[in-house]
Amino acid sequence: MDLLPTPEQVEIIDSSATFLADQISIARTRELFESGELPAVGAAAWSAAAELGWFALGLPEDRNGIGCGLADEVLLFREIGRRLAPGPFLSTVLAARVASFGGHQGLSDEIAGGRRVGLVIPGSLDAIGPDGSIVGEVQLVDADPDGLVLTVTPTIAALVAVSSLSDVTEVPCVDPTTRLHRAVGTGVGPVSSVASEVDPVELRGHVLAAALLTGIVEWSRDTGSEHAINRVQFDKPIGVNQAIKHPCADMAVQAQLAYSQSLFGALSVDEGRADAEFQALTAHATAAAAAEFATGATLQIMGGMGFTHEHDVHLYVKRMELLSHTFGMPGLWLDRLLELPEPV
Amino acid sequence: MDLRFAAEDVAFRDEARTWLTANAPTERRPKLGRAVRDYDLAWQRKLYEAGWGNVAWPVEYGGRDLPLIQQLIWFEEYARTGMRPIDTRFVGLAHAGPTLMARASDEQKSFHLPKILKGEVVWCQGFSEPEAGSDLASLRTKAVVDGDQLVVTGQKIWTSFADHSDYQELLVRTNNDVPKHKGITWVICDMKSPGIDIRPIRTIEGGADFNEVFYDEVRIPLANVVGDIDNGWSVAMSTLAFERGTAFTISQVQLAASVEELIELARSRRSINGRPVIDDDSLAKRLARARADCAALRSLTYLGISKNANSDQPGPEGSMMKLHYADLAKRVYRLGIEILGTRSLAIPVDEDDTEWIDKHLIAYSTSIGGGTSEIQRNIIGERVLGLPR
Repeated sequence: MDLLPTPEQVEIIDSSATFLADQISIARTRELFESGELPAVGAAAWSAAAELGWFALGLPEDRNGIGCGLADEVLLFREIGRRLAPGPFLSTVLAARVASFGGHQGLSDEIAGGRRVGLVIPGSLDAIGPDGSIVGEVQLVDADPDGLVLTVTPTIAALVAVSSLSDVTEVPCVDPTTRLHRAVGTGVGPVSSVASEVDPVELRGHVLAAALLTGIVEWSRDTGSEHAINRVQFDKPIGVNQAIKHPCADMAVQAQLAYSQSLFGALSVDEGRADAEFQALTAHATAAAAAEFATGATLQIMGGMGFTHEHDVHLYVKRMELLSHTFGMPGLWLDRLLELPEPV
Repeated sequence: MDLRFAAEDVAFRDEARTWLTANAPTERRPKLGRAVRDYDLAWQRKLYEAGWGNVAWPVEYGGRDLPLIQQLIWFEEYARTGMRPIDTRFVGLAHAGPTLMARASDEQKSFHLPKILKGEVVWCQGFSEPEAGSDLASLRTKAVVDGDQLVVTGQKIWTSFADHSDYQELLVRTNNDVPKHKGITWVICDMKSPGIDIRPIRTIEGGADFNEVFYDEVRIPLANVVGDIDNGWSVAMSTLAFERGTAFTISQVQLAASVEELIELARSRRSINGRPVIDDDSLAKRLARARADCAALRSLTYLGISKNANSDQPGPEGSMMKLHYADLAKRVYRLGIEILGTRSLAIPVDEDDTEWIDKHLIAYSTSIGGGTSEIQRNIIGERVLGLPR
């Protein structure tokens, strides 16, 4: 048992942080979405991420991937979350798996090479059919109208052509860095699909969403604490006050819990533990609750600045909402957590 | 990274589980009187004789000096027996003992450490005072050197198991003319010394583990001073890490087990409206949340142990675990009261129900004892995040 990153894993963390700071900075993201380009990530940066192997990191080598584990992907996604990098990173990484395990290796290679795949967020659970097709009202996150979107349920994951849907209408998303469509499914069969017994795509999705949320919690902790140290009122840094210091400490605890449980969830999936579903759902639920608390706490510590468009904290609040409503929502995960057997 | 335990660790778990299953006491621990001490010390003697006297102590002092991961496994398995995480053995094994190892003379060590390990003595702690709680260094209990003795006068409070104890790790003020941290002495007090008066403090759940201890010109040989006169603060600080080490695993594992029991209780009991308690969606969601929180606390424990196994300096996870545990334990045990509903008012009716009421009441202490949650937050804020004092 060891939860410390290896030197190779530290290298993943460092190189991804450097790349994100350089290519997908928040300043650049702001420029893009304020000029109306959604999702707010440039084509060049996206291709560069593909070239780094980000979309094939966790794919086995015999499926043209890099062969790393889900825990390695957690370390990458935590950095993506921390830097608020937009774009369908989550669904594209999962889609490359669905295509490969679904028997469409050529499509998988294309996705791993940088073809974006959006994510379907169903309006109700029965909007996704048992074969992964879309049969009801859905929202599409970062979908290309000519491209594919990913549907995920506890039993199946599938790729569906956006062109097969009806009433596809672009609507503003609460997260301004994200492109959102509404659409209605027509029941057209998926392009490719994989059952969860073959590859637990849903569990991987929960863990990676947890990793993104962990990055948000850590950003909030660091941003709130830095302000508490530097902001002076009544001739003292505001951080001397326990009313400021203690939520900072709580953020530190929440960040560590979100991180450790994301790793625990990832390794449970990697190692095929009997309680992998429990641990992965717990990771998402833990990180979502932590991020809700931490973004709110930091917004409060920032005072009036936290309420402005100019400060970045509102972007983190909104991203947190998006990720907390991905692959279901907290109440749904809790219902499942209660029904699952006791963790091992 | 890996969640799997190495083959030798898996074998160790089997060994520990087998021994504990065969040997852990099956009779309930008595609640009051001399029987408490007898029960705990008999258990310690049994542990010692089988080579389990202490898994963390160095071999030279008779301990097992297990690698941190096997200590974790030992405490996970110990927790499954249902034995309390803290009993009259705790201060000797986890606090005074390690302090003696770090700072005592060879004579002091060879006299006291074997007695602790063999289950011959009980130790208690004499740190807190009525005017020195979180601000421990402001303690006032006075000790004056008279020949080859210290003469101690004053009062301690929150001394667990004082009435069962043979010895006490006692902090006294030996110098008033220097900054408060510099005039404190750490001394071994024989609890049978004349001039000591112990008065039990009845607590919220009806127990009386805590005591006030009064000292009226109690004479302690200077030879009992550990470290030097006026240097006791650094002696006391040398073992703080022990209080938040792997032993905390027992509480964490038992809390998770309590959540599982509460889920069963909510499924088996009916609410005042005649429906299964678990049908209350708000309660069900909070039980699920508690389950998730216990799992996350375990992952934090594992992360902390992974770090500490590779470093001499314990990480901040200790304070984080304690803080999160306290919040969680209070939430979890309050759920017990909600599940019992109106039946939670009648204390003596049913043995099992009584236990949930006790656990709920005792849980209030988790955010106070061993450093309040407020102090833990200060520690994390200042030492981890670098916030100003």
